[in-house]
Amino acid sequence: MHSTLSKQAERVSPQTSAAPAIALDGVTLIRRTQEELHYDLKRSFLRLVSGRSRRVRRRTVLERVTLQIKRGEKVGLIGPNGSGKSTLLKLIAGILEPTRGSVAVSASVAPLIELGVGFDAELSLVDNIVYYAVLLGHSERDVRERIEDILDFAELREHRDEPTKTLSSGMAARLSFAIATEFRPEILLVDEVLSVGDERFRRKCAARIEHYWDEHSTILLVSHDMATVARTCDRVIWMDHGKVRFDGAASEAADAYLATIPTMASFRRGQDLVDLAHHDPRGQIVVKGRSGDETLYLIQDGRRHAITINWILRSHYGPQDVLIVDDAVIMEIVEGEALL
Amino acid sequence: MIGALARGSMPAVPAGWRRHLELVRMSALRLLKTRYRGTSLGVLWSFANPILMTALYTTIFGTAFASYYGGSILRYVFSAFVGVTVVVFFSQATTEALSSVVANGGLLNKIALDPEIFPIAALSANAFQQLTTTFPVVLVLAAVLTHDPLRAVLVPIVFAGVLLLCAGFGLALAAFYVFFRDLLYLWGVFSFVIWMTCPVFYPAALVPAGIRPYLTMNPVGMAIGALREVTLGHGPIDFSLVGGFLAVAIVCACVGHALFRALRRDFMDLL
Repeated sequence: MHSTLSKQAERVSPQTSAAPAIALDGVTLIRRTQEELHYDLKRSFLRLVSGRSRRVRRRTVLERVTLQIKRGEKVGLIGPNGSGKSTLLKLIAGILEPTRGSVAVSASVAPLIELGVGFDAELSLVDNIVYYAVLLGHSERDVRERIEDILDFAELREHRDEPTKTLSSGMAARLSFAIATEFRPEILLVDEVLSVGDERFRRKCAARIEHYWDEHSTILLVSHDMATVARTCDRVIWMDHGKVRFDGAASEAADAYLATIPTMASFRRGQDLVDLAHHDPRGQIVVKGRSGDETLYLIQDGRRHAITINWILRSHYGPQDVLIVDDAVIMEIVEGEALL
Repeated sequence: MIGALARGSMPAVPAGWRRHLELVRMSALRLLKTRYRGTSLGVLWSFANPILMTALYTTIFGTAFASYYGGSILRYVFSAFVGVTVVVFFSQATTEALSSVVANGGLLNKIALDPEIFPIAALSANAFQQLTTTFPVVLVLAAVLTHDPLRAVLVPIVFAGVLLLCAGFGLALAAFYVFFRDLLYLWGVFSFVIWMTCPVFYPAALVPAGIRPYLTMNPVGMAIGALREVTLGHGPIDFSLVGGFLAVAIVCACVGHALFRALRRDFMDLL
């Protein structure tokens, strides 16, 4: 374990040392705001004709991010919602491309491990495993040899030929975790992984991740839970408004970071949201309170905003927003299939 | 160090075209599997559709229009069948390609993939269906009716042209659909217009002479014209008909591909 990383000082230029596993150089990412997500041709055309066409609004999601991660480093990414943590992972995974700057990754990257994978509901588990793993870059033959291992780890052997839609969301999450971690990637990107499945399976996942920890894989872990990060990572990168606010030893980051977020009493995650929130036809998350007069709050950027019942949380608030009622966290908003 | 060396790809798999083809093959296979799950008559169904429609047209229009086909109802049947095959394939393939990128938005947000594989896979899955059902019939038609080996050789080439045409439309539509989510509905209307303006079940000679030139600009109509020429035609082959269509198909494919490449930069912000 490398536990002696100090703030910024350890930056090394690629010329003077072995190439880092991940190197971001002056990365700026500008994206369309998702407010414009679902516009339609008819309306755009009418707007154009009536001379009221609007320019596409864009937002700087990451601004001049420069960082290097060495092979075998365990890095925790923390920061409030919308600070660019998940975006950073997507850049490293090659899903997004930077507007300016460069991203260089010199090792194999596992997919983002998070809830909601995008399995084909009609296909059998086996077919989904093969399809998903081939998309990840493995040959069909390799995958077929390892199907049993994957099914065993996910504890879904008896469901192998059933269509995937028969799985519960927890089972699907187990399967995606099993596939993503089966192939020993050199770089593991983990987005809130510890919310997979039930308590027992969560421990099993943690054990597998820890195994990677010991095997000198490079790991990037996005988490809200500073305690987890401090316990498992040597280095912490704290993102704030698209910039790196702190980059250094985990112990130094913990106190400063925790001071910026309100106390959270209890958590209920993803699936519990079904009663309270749903996607409206335009893809926005609509939150309804259980009873009419509770006040709900949305925590964003570390600040608490009172919101009213039926408030529309636009999806650009992103996953992992937190709603609290009377100072107790009642849920976390996790976008994706878990909601539907 | 500039750019990504091996982003998102594992060293075990060769990069470039082979991976691209492998992904298209797997995605097309997935589409075929979900389509035919639980139906033993799956493949036959894609046969039933054009045959039923041809039967319908023949019942209603066959006798009335037979005089345009040398008084032969059988020629009308073949002519309608070729037309229906092309039109059904075009509208199915392009409609499926249209929604393919958006439908796979979840995957594109998790794995670094070229979004182009999804419309191409949708097209391939549909093409596979044709190759196993109507295509052999059309090929046999050409051989039996024309007794002209050159025509039979041209059938696969015209069919390839139809694929290129669909690829061009499919790629462009898939890209636009990312931005304009009402396109599925609009394309439904538009492909009906394309259908109606193709001389599928009526002879082109029936259309007033002043309007006919506009109808010949319909690329799907051109495809039908070319395919009829090589399957039902006689005498010297009208190469301008076949060559003209192939040229249009290639241009369509290139334009669709270029549009897709130009627009894909913004895809991930909207998926």
